[in-house]
Order: sequence, then structure tokens, then C-alpha cells
Amino acid sequence: MKKAFVALLASILLLSACGSKSENSASGGNSGSTSKEITVWAWDPNFNIAAMKLAVDAYAKTNADQKVSVVEYAQDDIIQKLNTGLNSGTTNGLPNIVLIEDYRAQSFLKAYPDAFYDLSNSIKASDFADYKIASSSLDGKQYGVPFDSGVAGLYVRTDYLKDAGYTVDDLTNIDWDKYIEIAKDVKAKTGHDMLTQDPNDLGLVRMMIQSAGSWYTKEDGTTPDLKDNAALKDAFTTYKALMESNTVKITSDWSQFLAGFNSGDVATVPTGNWITPSVKAEASQSGKWAIVPMPKLKNTSSSVNATNIGGSSWYVLNVPGKEQAAEFLAKTLGSDVNLYQDMLTKVGVIGTLKAAGEGEAYKQADEYFGGQKTVEDFSPWTQQIPQVNFGMNTYAIEDILVPEMQNYLNGQDLDKVLADAQSQAESQLQ
Amino acid sequence: MKLKQSTSRFSPQTLFGKIFVVMVVSTISVALVTSLLMVQVSQKLFMNTFSITNTKIIQQIKNSFEDFNYDIVTVSGEVAQSLTVKTFLTEGDKDSLSNNFSVYRMTDQMEHILSSLDINEVGVAIIGVNGRSYFNNRAYWTGTTGELKGSTLYEETIQHPEKLSYHYFKGDEETSDQPLIIASKALRNPSTKEIYGILFMMIREKDFRQFYGNFTSTGNDVVILNHNGQIVSSNLAGRIGQTSKELLQSAENIRTQNLDYMTVSTSGASEIVLADYLQTYDYYIVNLIDKKMALEKLFPAKQIILTGAAIVTVSLMVIFIIVRRVTRSLRILVRQMSSVTKRNLHNYITIGGSYETRELGTAFNYMLDELNDYISQLVETQREQRNAELAALQRQINPHFLYNTLASVNILVQRGNKEKATETIRALISLLQNTISNVSETITVEQELINLKHYVFINQVRYGPGIQVDYFVSPDCMKAQLPKLILQPFIENSFFHGFMDRTTGYIYVMIAREGGTLVCEVVDNGTGMDLEAAGSRLSNPANKRQMFTGIGVRNVHERILLLYGEHYGVTIESKPGEGTKVRLRIPWLISSEDEA
Repeated sequence: MKKAFVALLASILLLSACGSKSENSASGGNSGSTSKEITVWAWDPNFNIAAMKLAVDAYAKTNADQKVSVVEYAQDDIIQKLNTGLNSGTTNGLPNIVLIEDYRAQSFLKAYPDAFYDLSNSIKASDFADYKIASSSLDGKQYGVPFDSGVAGLYVRTDYLKDAGYTVDDLTNIDWDKYIEIAKDVKAKTGHDMLTQDPNDLGLVRMMIQSAGSWYTKEDGTTPDLKDNAALKDAFTTYKALMESNTVKITSDWSQFLAGFNSGDVATVPTGNWITPSVKAEASQSGKWAIVPMPKLKNTSSSVNATNIGGSSWYVLNVPGKEQAAEFLAKTLGSDVNLYQDMLTKVGVIGTLKAAGEGEAYKQADEYFGGQKTVEDFSPWTQQIPQVNFGMNTYAIEDILVPEMQNYLNGQDLDKVLADAQSQAESQLQ
Repeated sequence: MKLKQSTSRFSPQTLFGKIFVVMVVSTISVALVTSLLMVQVSQKLFMNTFSITNTKIIQQIKNSFEDFNYDIVTVSGEVAQSLTVKTFLTEGDKDSLSNNFSVYRMTDQMEHILSSLDINEVGVAIIGVNGRSYFNNRAYWTGTTGELKGSTLYEETIQHPEKLSYHYFKGDEETSDQPLIIASKALRNPSTKEIYGILFMMIREKDFRQFYGNFTSTGNDVVILNHNGQIVSSNLAGRIGQTSKELLQSAENIRTQNLDYMTVSTSGASEIVLADYLQTYDYYIVNLIDKKMALEKLFPAKQIILTGAAIVTVSLMVIFIIVRRVTRSLRILVRQMSSVTKRNLHNYITIGGSYETRELGTAFNYMLDELNDYISQLVETQREQRNAELAALQRQINPHFLYNTLASVNILVQRGNKEKATETIRALISLLQNTISNVSETITVEQELINLKHYVFINQVRYGPGIQVDYFVSPDCMKAQLPKLILQPFIENSFFHGFMDRTTGYIYVMIAREGGTLVCEVVDNGTGMDLEAAGSRLSNPANKRQMFTGIGVRNVHERILLLYGEHYGVTIESKPGEGTKVRLRIPWLISSEDEA
């Protein structure tokens, strides 16, 4: 009787122990030294999550006992969870590895100096595209593993251009004024708009100023640089000219943006290389597209025909398990050239690891783009991207600039508009 | 024997058995009835409090739904009144700059309107008749604008343009497999009633759940039904999208009959259903409580049964012991009493046990006392009566005897035989003297022999000396005591019956001691008698004239029995023609004087 009771008690204890254990692993993020699992947060199942899964598979070949789980959250959720977790000082529930957009990276690195693990000893910053380093490092320490390239290009419909009497060469290495000129011609001859724009997204302006090596903030990353920013002024002027040319199809969200070119409404798409899979999603337009360098600002001498938009990098959080996580990143995304070939062919990710560009996949011709070696073409542009410090406040300043742009379009003086934006930014970002 | 006793104790015939059976039955039934009543009362109480708290909970849920609805209504009102929105949805396509302004103003306006929403998780979509559309977040409707426009939702909203209505949209590709609850409202020109757009406000079912999710637990579920009985939202994820006419029926009954709750049996399980109607949504909030699960928490049936059984067992054991002790003295009493009736009246009962049994025992013993007293008194009285009778008989000297004797003396005197006459008179006097004196006195054998000789002498005077009487007496017996005139009746019997038809014969009288017994024999060689026939003659002497006293042979026997008990008495052996032998046994007694 007594024995049976003891056995019962023991089994209850055992069961409850099992229960609490499984609970621990279920919470996932809290990967203490007891749990060897590495947790990764990312947001796009068709892009960065798919790429990460390839990395996990590649790592499993050599380190079969290291478990890596990739969790999908919306980008806004990741930012919110990171802010909440890091603010509260508890690392409970946070992942080992997180993907952060380059525009936001600095704000995290600066706001939470000890929250991220220094990867300087795991990877070599010089192995990656130079323009990615500024956003993913702080005070000389490399915190992020640069991931996808944000190198931008001008996607053009060769058939529409042909109808209007232009060739691809006519759009190669041009400036925005020439672009507008062609746009008017194309609209007049074919009836198609030249591009889509969302009034709430100044991505085009960002690309323009980065092509001139300028940004919303000065090189320190914090001081707003709006008033008397020549590149910005040029970009604003160009933007207004574009709007007034009446060749812009106005969209209000991402799906309308996609619909704009998939439905054949517009003749060009000036954006990052990551749009390639979306363009190719419309199989009926195969062979009708080409990619040319992004136009540059005419009145800004520093502007080049290369710029960047978007892009993100992987960061290791300073939580238990960081060594394993750093090693995982170093051996996969930090150095594995073959992995980058896979990511390009299977997912469409153009990586920023310089060595990867030497791989076969990066030299493949793409029939969709009329046999153009698109990825290979992107490489030199990537090298030319002027390096800027995105700083902490890219989106905050853009929120100020969006209405000011409307004011400017509405006829207000450009200097006044930028001066207003400058003062707002200074007061808000103190 | 013992086994038999113990089984008989339990048999329902015994007092113990009866009491015990009654106690067992009543204990168990009292325990059962009490626990059943308690369970029922507390169940009822529990149900009432449960329904009250859950009604309050439902009220709270209802309030949060209403709050949400108020937000939705506010937003839809503002959207409907917004000129910017109307312009965006009605104007035609213009140049890029104008379109830019229109889109910017629209988004700006919508952001402003939506900022008043407390709940973030709402996807807003507006589709205009001019083909323009607005989405604040494409994550809710991942399908195309055309798909939304082509949905039945769009049609239904156009059909009922006057009201804000809620729809359930089953998860599909268009919504990333997430079920949605969509509030839709047609945007109309106030004056012309012309529809210029449709406003959709989408909330994911899992976010919809947050209005009641905190109140649910295992066995306590919430289900939101639309007017078709379709489950639009529930914490039971598996039931979302199903249609339950049963639940709808219960909810409608509760609403129309104003019930607190209903008990419904669905698929074998009994469920308590509470419901409330959400007027603005045309939805029912239904609270399902698994009765078994809820009550199991309150009444662990196994524990109750075990505890009850333990209490009943213990009380039965106590009852067993008490009843046994109470009835024990009674049982002993009964056993003792039954042995009294079997044997004799001197078996008194040991007094003990409870008050009642002690009283009973005392009364019983007292009764035995009385009975014994009465019996001994009776015996004594009878003995005295018999003694008196015998004494009377003894003293009753037959007048014929006197007459005959005196007549014989008279003849002797006339004949001049003076000496013989004198001797006869003297013998008579001695005889009479003995008779008159106390009949119960004993005399010595010697004296009795003198009396006998006197009697024989008188008889020989009357009837002649033909009958010879001889005495053989052991010398040690001369001093032995015996009752007076105890042998005389047998001599008399021999004279008058044995020698009735003869004048010669002999009679022997022999007295000897045999241990503690004095044996006297009177033997004659007379005619004898048939003993069976003689019985009547002995007891009822035909010729009383011949007898000396009233004592007959039979009386002698009775007298001996009376004096000395049944070990002593008279035996007679006789056959016709062979004479009679009378044997008389009395205890050996010697008077204290003689002994000394």
C-alpha cells in the first residue's frame, strides 16, 4: 500500500516535470543553456523565411544535432515584440536570431547597446557589399550578417518602349529628366503610364538621394538633414516634375503596386531587385522585360546610376545560446557560397556576400528578361551604391516628409517645405 | 451449536436481528436520502449562482461587443459623412497629380478616422463604384479587389444599403485561410440614396474571440451564432463555421421565453445553455457549460460515495455493538427463563443488565418465590389433612368390635370363667388405651407386640383358638420405633379374610432389620386372594363390623408413605388357596431414650 503510494507520487512528480519541460520548449524564444534549439524570427515566407530554411537545411548536413526553428511574424509584430522585450529588460520569449530591415537596424543597435551580440569575430565585414556595413555595424563592431541586396534597377517593358520608338539603350544610364521626357512620349504614343507611385511611400525619393550619397540625416545618423539638402531638393523637384508629367499611376497600397505592372498598366518599375520574383509571377509578359540601371539626378553631380532600396540583415540577440546562433550564421549566411546559389535559384534572393557573385547562379541568363544576365548586371551596380548611414529615424522623418511633399506638390515653396520638415524633425526627434 | 446460536441471533425473528435490520436499513436510507437531498439542493444553488455569474459574464461580453460595434458604427458614420472619401470614390480618373492628391487625402482622412478605433486589429476596405479602392491593411483581404467586389458579401450589402450588417466569411485564399467577421455598410448619397461605395470592416475571428476569450475555460465555452445558426466565432476552434440549429433553437427559446438558462442534451452530453441576443449584430452569444464537467468539479462523486460509505460502515459497526450490548442481557434472561420451565422452579435468575431486564428478572424471581411458597404451603396442608383423616380413622373404634368383645366377655362371665373374662377385659382396656392416645406417636416394637397379642387374644376368645399366631422378632428390633397399630390391620385382615371359611390356620409375624430398614412381615396360610380382584375389597372392607378401627390395609400404606416417603410402604403377595404375605418396610428408628 505504502509502496504503491510512493510509486504514484513519484509518477505524478515525473509527469509534472515532463509537463513543465515541454512548456519550456514550447515557449521557444527562451532558449536557455539547457535548450540547444536556435529560434529565428523573420517575416516573409516567400523570401527571407524560405532563404533561412535553406540555410537551416545546409547547416543540418554538418551539424545534425543542432535544431533551428524558424518562426514567422509580421514585420510590425517583430519590431513591437523586440521593443517590448528589450525595453522590459527580460530576454524571455525573444529569439536567438532576428531579421531587421536595414533602415531600422541602427535604431535598435543604438537604443539597446547590449542587446545584440558582436559578430566581429564570427564574420568578416569586408566579405560583404560595402554599403550594407554602415547599417549593420556600430562603433566598428559588426552586429549584423548582411542578407539580401537592396540594389535597385529600372525594370522596363521593352515592347511598350518599342511602340514609342525607344530601345533599351535609350533608357540605360539616363537621368530622371530624360526619363520624364521619355515617359511623356510613351504616354502619348501608347497611352500607358510610365510608373506607379503611392503618395504615402517616398521610396523613389530615398533611392534618388542615396544615389547622390545623401540621406534624410547627416552622417552621424541622427541630425536631420532636410533643409538645404541639395540632393533632397533635386529629388523633390524631380518627383514633382514626374507627377506633373501626368505619367504616374497613383496606387494606395502594395497589391495595387503589384497589379500596376502585372496587369501591364505601366511601362517601367523603378525599384529593388527583390521585385524580380513578383514581375516574373506574370508569365504572360515573359520576354517583354529588361532591367537597366536606375536613372540618376541630373542636377546633383554626386548622383550615380546605382542606388538601393530595402534590404535587411540578420542579428544575433545577446541571450543564452548566442554562441551557437553566431556559429550557425557564420557557417551558413556568413560564408557558404553554395547556399547563396541555392537561395538565388530557388528563392530569388540576391545576396550581398561578395564571393557569392562568383558562383554559377549569379551568371545565369534569364529568359524572362530576354536572356539578360540580370544578376550579373546587378553586381557592378551594387558596387557603385553610395554608402550612407540610414541612422535611426528614416521612417520617422519620412512620416514628416509625406505631407510636406503634398504641400510642395500643391504649390508651396520647396525651401519653405523642407525648412518646415527640418524644424518638425528637429522638434520631434530630440 | 455455537454456530447455530450465532445464526439464530441474526435471524429476523430475534429482537437483535430485528433492531439491527431496522437500524441498517434506516441508516443507509437516511444517509442516501440526506446526501441526495444535499446534492440536489447544492446543485440547484450552484446552478443558480452559476447562471447568475455567467449571465453577468455574458452581459460583460455583450458590453464589449457593443463597445466594438459602437466603434465600428462611429467609423462607418464618419466614413459615410466624409466628403474626401466620397470624392475619392466618385470622381473620375484625372491626371497623376490630382490622383495623387486624391489618394493622399483619402489615406490621410482614413488614417484620421481609424485612429479613433480602440481596436487595432481591424482591416478596412472601401470599394467605390468608380473602381477605386482603399485598404488600410492588405493582410486581412489578401485576395484581389475584384474578388471582394464579386463576393456575395458585396451583393448582400447592396441589397440592404440602409443598415450596417455583420457577416461571417469563411477562411479561404482571399483571407490567408483566416475566418473573418466582416461588418459592411453601403455608402450612399444622402439625398439621392445612390450608392457610391461599400465599406468593409474586417476582424479576424481569432481577434473577435478576445471579447469573450478570457471568460472561457474547459467545459465553459462561448459560441457566437448568426441568425442562421452558423457558428461565426467560438473558443471551440473546431466548431467555427458549423451550423447548429439546435443551439439556435435553444438561444431563441431563452430569448423569447425569458429563461435564465436551459439544459440541452447534445450528443450524449448534458449542457447548460445560457444565451443573449446581440441586437446590433443579429448574433446570439451562447454560453455552453458542460454540466458534467462543471458539477464534477463541485461534486467529486467518487469521494462523496466513498466518504458516505465509510460513515455508514462506521455507524453500522457502532450500531451493531450497541444493539448487541443492549440485547445481550435480554438474551441471557430469555435463556435462563427457558431453562426454568424445563427443570424446576428453583432456578433463580441472575439479576443484571439494563434497568428493564433487571426489573424483569426481579419480577420473575419474585414470581418463582411466590410459586414455591404456594406449592410448599399446599403440600403441607394436604399432609396435615391426610394426617387428620388417618388419626380420625384410627380413633374411630368400631362399635361392633366393642359390642362383640363385650358380648364375649358377658358369655365368659355367665359361664363363670372369671379369669378369662378378666383377662379379656384387661386386653381390651390396654388396646383402647393405645388407640385413644396420640395417633402420631411411635411406639417400640415390644409395645406393638403387646398390643397385637392383646388383639389376638380377644379374637381367640371370640372365635376360638383354631388360628395360631406366632411371633418371630429379632431381639435387636425390640427397641425399634414404629407407628402405633401399624401391624394390627394386617392381622385383622388375615383373621377375617384369610380364614373366613376356616377355623384353623396360622399367622406368622416376623420383624427384622435390613440395613436402615425395619421389615415386618405378616404371613398367613389362609385362602389367599386374587390381588387384582381384591383391590376393591381391600380399600373398601365389606364387613366393617369385624374391624377394630377405621384404618384399613390401604390406609396403612398411605400412612407410611405420608410419614416416611416413597421409599417405604407395603407390598402384598397373595394367591388364592396359598395364603397371603404382607411385607411392610419402614425406616429404622430408635428413640433417643432407648438408645441411651
